[in-house]
Amino acid sequence: MPRWIRFLIALAIGAALGLVYGWVIDPLEYVETTPDTLRLDYKADYALMVAEAFQQEGDPNLAARRLAVLGGGPPIDIVAQALEFALRTGYSESDIGLLQNLAAGLQAWSPPPEGGPP
Amino acid sequence: MKFERFPWYLLLGLIAGIGLGLLYTWVISPIRYVDTLPNTLRADFKDQYRSAIAAAFMASGDLARAQSRLALLGDPDAVQALSAQAQRMLAAGESVDAVQSLALLAAAIQQQAAAGSTESLPSSVPLLSPTETTSAVAAGPRQTDTPLPAPLETPTPIQTPTPRATRTPTPTLGAPFVVVSQEAVCDPNLPAGLLQVIVKDAANRQVAGAEIVLAWKDGEERFFTGFKPELGNGYADYVMTPEITYTLRLAEGSVSVPDLSAPPCQASTGEQYWGSLRLIFAQP
Repeated sequence: MPRWIRFLIALAIGAALGLVYGWVIDPLEYVETTPDTLRLDYKADYALMVAEAFQQEGDPNLAARRLAVLGGGPPIDIVAQALEFALRTGYSESDIGLLQNLAAGLQAWSPPPEGGPP
Repeated sequence: MKFERFPWYLLLGLIAGIGLGLLYTWVISPIRYVDTLPNTLRADFKDQYRSAIAAAFMASGDLARAQSRLALLGDPDAVQALSAQAQRMLAAGESVDAVQSLALLAAAIQQQAAAGSTESLPSSVPLLSPTETTSAVAAGPRQTDTPLPAPLETPTPIQTPTPRATRTPTPTLGAPFVVVSQEAVCDPNLPAGLLQVIVKDAANRQVAGAEIVLAWKDGEERFFTGFKPELGNGYADYVMTPEITYTLRLAEGSVSVPDLSAPPCQASTGEQYWGSLRLIFAQP
């Protein structure tokens, strides 16, 4: 067998060993992740939690701060995504209403100036 | 004797193969975390998630939903996790409302567990292990009154609708609390100067989340009932420094109790030690 073929075989074995090590012996564990990587249904549920709290607290600043955990986008966009998911997957009317209330509250809200009071 | 030449090219191929694999996985196509589960969140984000759960619980009073959401975080002991976070937030000087909501949620779970009540809990609330990939929608949050949507990934057990749980007694703006009992406790097994406070409502039920304000000449400390649910939801304690005089009141409204200090006690051997104080507040 030509030497270059044996080299390629060794190369393939090396790559296979790497894959076996990475996927079987010591597979990757998902730890220390950030909320923006959460699956969409968890993000939607988080937004619903914020909406539930907003219903009682009525504080759009606080709601926006809580939503900011999910990423750097505008809070209203996060709620809109959650609402779209809620409508698509059959959330209850009351839960959808909570998300709509939160969206309405955030539409009229503008972020406080940088360095200003919370 | 004949020595065959070592096939270095094979070793080189092996190493190059591993190197190519690493190059692909680390540089060309590095891991991107997407579609993760709440139990994989970093500790500080888990704290924020827990705070959101508690805030939602405070608004809705839906304990079953809160428990399902807490289960998603994969804490071995949700009550312990809530209490520990509340203590950390209290130490960091965060808002009293946020701390209180955590304490109340912990107390509500503990209270329900102590009552052994299963009627208000779904029988199939799954406690997710880190490897499970159950849909959040099916895992609990939607169980109260939203029809279950199709799972996103793996099939999950169908859960039955759950009645809304009753809320844990919380301090109300009713009549101010009064001291119904104040006694010195001489027990050498207790920490010296332990101040024990128990808060009850008008129905004689212990009240979790009651804020206690303890002041002395040079300072003030605030703490809450319900952080040691094994001693009662309305229980809180604080270790006083001997020979310092304190004044105690409940933030929700009570008479102030002045001149509190660790009582001197004497053991059966004649040895002197600092005893404890136990105060019981109740609404008339």
